[in-house]
Amino acid sequence: MLGIVKELWRFRALVDALVRRHIATRYRGSVFGFLWSLMNPLCLMAVYTLVFHYYMRFNGGPYYHLMVFAGLLPWIWTSSALVEGTASLVNSGHLITKSLFPAHVLPFVSVSSAMVHFLLALPVLAIFVVMAGLPIPITWLALPVVVIVHAVFLNGVVLALSALNVFYRDVQHLVGNMLTLLFFLCPVVYPATVVPEKWRFLITYNPLAALTQFYQQILIEGVWPPMSGLVYVLLVSLVVGACGVVVHNHYKEKFAEAL
Amino acid sequence: MGASLPSQQIEPTKAADAVEYVIDIVKLCKRFARRGRAPQGYTTFKAALLSFFKSKKDLAVVREEPKAFGIEDLTLRIPKGASVGLIGRNGSGKSTFLKLVTGIYKPTSGEVNVKGRIAALIELGAGFHPDFTGRENLMLAGIMHGLTREQILSRYDEIVEFAELGHVIDEPVRTYSSGMFMRLGFSIAIHTDPDILLVDEVLAVGDAGFVAKCKDRISELRKAGKTLVLVTHDLDAVERWCDEVIWLHQGEVKDRGFPRRVIDAYRSFIEKQEQNEILSHEHEVIAQVQSVESDAGDPKGARWGSREIEIVSVETLGSDASEKRVYHSDDTMRVKIAYRVHAAQDEVVFGLGVSRVDGLPVFGTNTDIDRIKMPALKGEGIVECDLKRLGLVEGGYTLDVAVHRADGYPFDYHKDAIHFSVRSERREVGVVSPPRAWIINGERSVC
Repeated sequence: MLGIVKELWRFRALVDALVRRHIATRYRGSVFGFLWSLMNPLCLMAVYTLVFHYYMRFNGGPYYHLMVFAGLLPWIWTSSALVEGTASLVNSGHLITKSLFPAHVLPFVSVSSAMVHFLLALPVLAIFVVMAGLPIPITWLALPVVVIVHAVFLNGVVLALSALNVFYRDVQHLVGNMLTLLFFLCPVVYPATVVPEKWRFLITYNPLAALTQFYQQILIEGVWPPMSGLVYVLLVSLVVGACGVVVHNHYKEKFAEAL
Repeated sequence: MGASLPSQQIEPTKAADAVEYVIDIVKLCKRFARRGRAPQGYTTFKAALLSFFKSKKDLAVVREEPKAFGIEDLTLRIPKGASVGLIGRNGSGKSTFLKLVTGIYKPTSGEVNVKGRIAALIELGAGFHPDFTGRENLMLAGIMHGLTREQILSRYDEIVEFAELGHVIDEPVRTYSSGMFMRLGFSIAIHTDPDILLVDEVLAVGDAGFVAKCKDRISELRKAGKTLVLVTHDLDAVERWCDEVIWLHQGEVKDRGFPRRVIDAYRSFIEKQEQNEILSHEHEVIAQVQSVESDAGDPKGARWGSREIEIVSVETLGSDASEKRVYHSDDTMRVKIAYRVHAAQDEVVFGLGVSRVDGLPVFGTNTDIDRIKMPALKGEGIVECDLKRLGLVEGGYTLDVAVHRADGYPFDYHKDAIHFSVRSERREVGVVSPPRAWIINGERSVC
């Protein structure tokens, strides 16, 4: 795992250029550019608030829309990192088959680009918090820790999935469907407290659900994430990261032939 | 084949103790997985998951079988400063070899040891990102070649100038022509201080001016003691450029040594293969016709006549009287026509005609034109005609044969009876190649 980190550092200029390019090409030719990446979470927030809060009279508290938004932003990072990252090796096959391209850079670039979008959307969340008449909590300081843990987790998953996807294109379809399922297993549109005790483990032990809660806690509620939960997610992320590296390394010598 | 020619013996003469090998390949073997049911030969996810836990060696046995483009047991050393041409038919393993040397492919077994920095032009636009501009791709390629940002920036102007792309360098490379791709790729490659330059066929798309410039640059690199590996089908270029040629055939070194000799061997090998292909195709056609058993069903649809005299078979032979379909300009072609007389006739004329494959008539004659007195024919027999010096330029030709009456009444007419090829090292234009000599200021040289 350290090896891959070193490699990424060696190719940091490449990663930097690819991430910039990735973000720039996405909004090329559109007038509102980056603003479009905010539209998706804003629309979802509006719809979920309307449906759950007003239509179904679901009592998510006075700041329901903020909780939804704080959960949606990291979720969108997760989902676009997984979707794009899984397909990243296949989509850039020409680089791998025709030149000595460091393949592991590609999934990392997908995760990083999605992360940049996430980070750029945070000021908007801050504005919403202020508009709701709440103070910006000091717990925002914990954000880097949560983001790093989240990034390690995503990189591990994407490293493995992208490598598998080279050999079985089924993986990218599977990922798309699993994401729909996972979304509702994370406490984005509902608070974790409404989950009955016997199902609570689905939140506690699902690292993505736990991360969602951490974000809501530090960004809105001003609560430090529980140390035990953070350590648990960190350990899971490290294990997933290591597995990702192992799977990736197992397959990497065959990429050029299989693509 | 490769084993019978230990490479060390034929290498260009250099002080044996001072030779440094920049590419040292030992018992290299590269096999590709069978494509078909599933890549890697896995059939299901489950099988894949199970095999994940098995050792790699077991898998190699189960899922890998030799196939085209692979390399079998290749041992090869290329000394520093050599200029080596790699030739061979399509699928002989040339590109696979380059990909193994550059490290894009990993060998199934054996070793690839490379000393020094490699710059490879494997394919046009290889490693370029289509949406990036020329400038961005240049930076990225430089980084991938192991240069620092500062190094790239300091060479930036030189690279762009050499590539002659100053006017489009800020356009995305997907808008580039193939020539532009090649110029950019080549320019980057030679400006990264490579110790070994691998070039796979890409120079072919450059215009004459740029190719000349590339060649100057390659000469400079060679003078500076760099190693060049050139893969191409342009045998003239190989002969001009390389001081050694390696001929790959089905993943093995078929021959290696001085360019002239290896290229000649390669050429005659190709001709033989081509001839075999033409002959086996003919046999197939004949088999088809016989199975249909209808003399009107000539596959080429061009046989007519009353058949009082029938042409039973047509063959073209070489000077050794064996069947031949690939000739050189200077070769003698013997056309052998076997006939059978069903009803005796007077004034019988045998004729033959040669056309280019596109239908252009090249030459035609018959026994009447050539004032050959035909005896009375009966039963079966053979008529042969020697075209003493074929005198055609390189290309594909067809042969028509006929037997008819002097007034033109056809007994049996075979159009496109035989397809044959002419090969020539000379690059004449047109159709015919008469024997000739040049006399320059009274000095005569025959060619």
